Amino acid sequence: MSWKRVCSASEVAEKSLKQFDVEGVPVLIANLGDEFRAYPPLCPHMEERLEESGICEAGVLTCSKHLWQWDMRTGEMRGEAEKPLLLYEVKQDNGDVLVNIEKELEYEYDEETDDDDDSFWD
Amino acid sequence: MKVRGRSKTDKFTFECNEGERILYAGLRSGLALPYECATGTCGTCKARVRELETIKDLWPEAPGNTYLKRDRGEFLMCQAHAAADCEIAVPAKMDVVPDDYIAPVSTRGLFANCRRLTHDVVAFEIELADPIEFDAGQFVVMQVPDVDGGRAYSMVNFERATRRLEFVVKKKPDGGFSEWLFGSEVEGTEAEICGPLGRATFQPDEAKNVLCIAGGSGIAGMMSILARGCQERHFANHKGNLFFGVRTLKDAFFLDELSSFVAAHPDNLNVTIALSDEEVDPRETPHNGTLDFATGFVHSVASERMSGNYDDVVAYIAGPPPMVDGAIRTLIMDARLPAEMIRYDKFS
Repeated sequence: MSWKRVCSASEVAEKSLKQFDVEGVPVLIANLGDEFRAYPPLCPHMEERLEESGICEAGVLTCSKHLWQWDMRTGEMRGEAEKPLLLYEVKQDNGDVLVNIEKELEYEYDEETDDDDDSFWD
Repeated sequence: MKVRGRSKTDKFTFECNEGERILYAGLRSGLALPYECATGTCGTCKARVRELETIKDLWPEAPGNTYLKRDRGEFLMCQAHAAADCEIAVPAKMDVVPDDYIAPVSTRGLFANCRRLTHDVVAFEIELADPIEFDAGQFVVMQVPDVDGGRAYSMVNFERATRRLEFVVKKKPDGGFSEWLFGSEVEGTEAEICGPLGRATFQPDEAKNVLCIAGGSGIAGMMSILARGCQERHFANHKGNLFFGVRTLKDAFFLDELSSFVAAHPDNLNVTIALSDEEVDPRETPHNGTLDFATGFVHSVASERMSGNYDDVVAYIAGPPPMVDGAIRTLIMDARLPAEMIRYDKFS
């Protein structure tokens, strides 16, 4: 358990995303209006920086590169997305946004190529 | 050569001819392999090969290679020949191809009817030896002898089983193909063509209202969509709104053609030319009565004029990347269109 302060709540505008560095761990903070969420910074599809490619609307995050979409609160896939978003635990304290980082969350971009033995090809 | 492979959803085998790109061979045989630009830029068609020496990489410096992990045998299917029988893995789901899928073919044709439309836009046709089918909104990859690599261009016309493909190209600084096109006597030159490609297609039987947002030569595919829509009387009972962005009035082209489309369906079809760098007096614009003019970036103009009119809309977008991005933001944030109703192909 390691709660780290990421930013002040006022640093991330409503319906927007902002990337921060938390002791070497990149974290993307989303402001949903009533709550915050924290994700790894890259799109699980093709590693686009969601801070630039992401669109927040009606509780849905859309990566504008290929229109993968997710429920911002739960990270669940919507529409064409093939992988869910990973989430860090978030809380607010005294106007600050804190994130629980046990280890850096990263997407497995090679998941289907992990199996290097010959059975992979059979 | 035999290509054997698997995706997240499928196993497959297809034949790849000598000198044929693996992506095109797979698409030709009816597989829904993932791709977008088909010209080495976007990285969408990446796959992994079991034995590197079984493929030949045609463009080691392709921009899309930044998405690859070479040490894992990753490569771009659009930039590789099969050098021998090979085994590949495609890290994506493969959609089932629809019944009306038109498999791309590799063919040849001759440049014809090349003409300037503006100071930096050229239109030309390719006369094919054999007729091909395509859907409105699709593109082909074109290769000419004097220029390295293929370029993707959307068809402007729409005809069934046609031997004639129309294109429009904007001059780009350091654009090998456009410099060749603008600097040479190209009539009669033979081009290699692979297509049709692209999923941003218009299907009248979806029975949707149509919104097109285009910048510069991105108008090409929209012309094809409006041509088909008019031929099949789609706009007799569906709305069509086209927004065409250029810098100034002298950069605009196809105005006669666009005006004719509107004249055929004046009640339902609207065309607005958005000029980003020029204010115009609406009384002095060409085709007064059929074409509207506005000042501003095309996605902003579309956003203002479409507000509240997004019912049952399918949207098509084409143009420079910042414009495409702006239009996508508008369509998701203002229009709240579902992602499957926003269609575009990235090939820049």
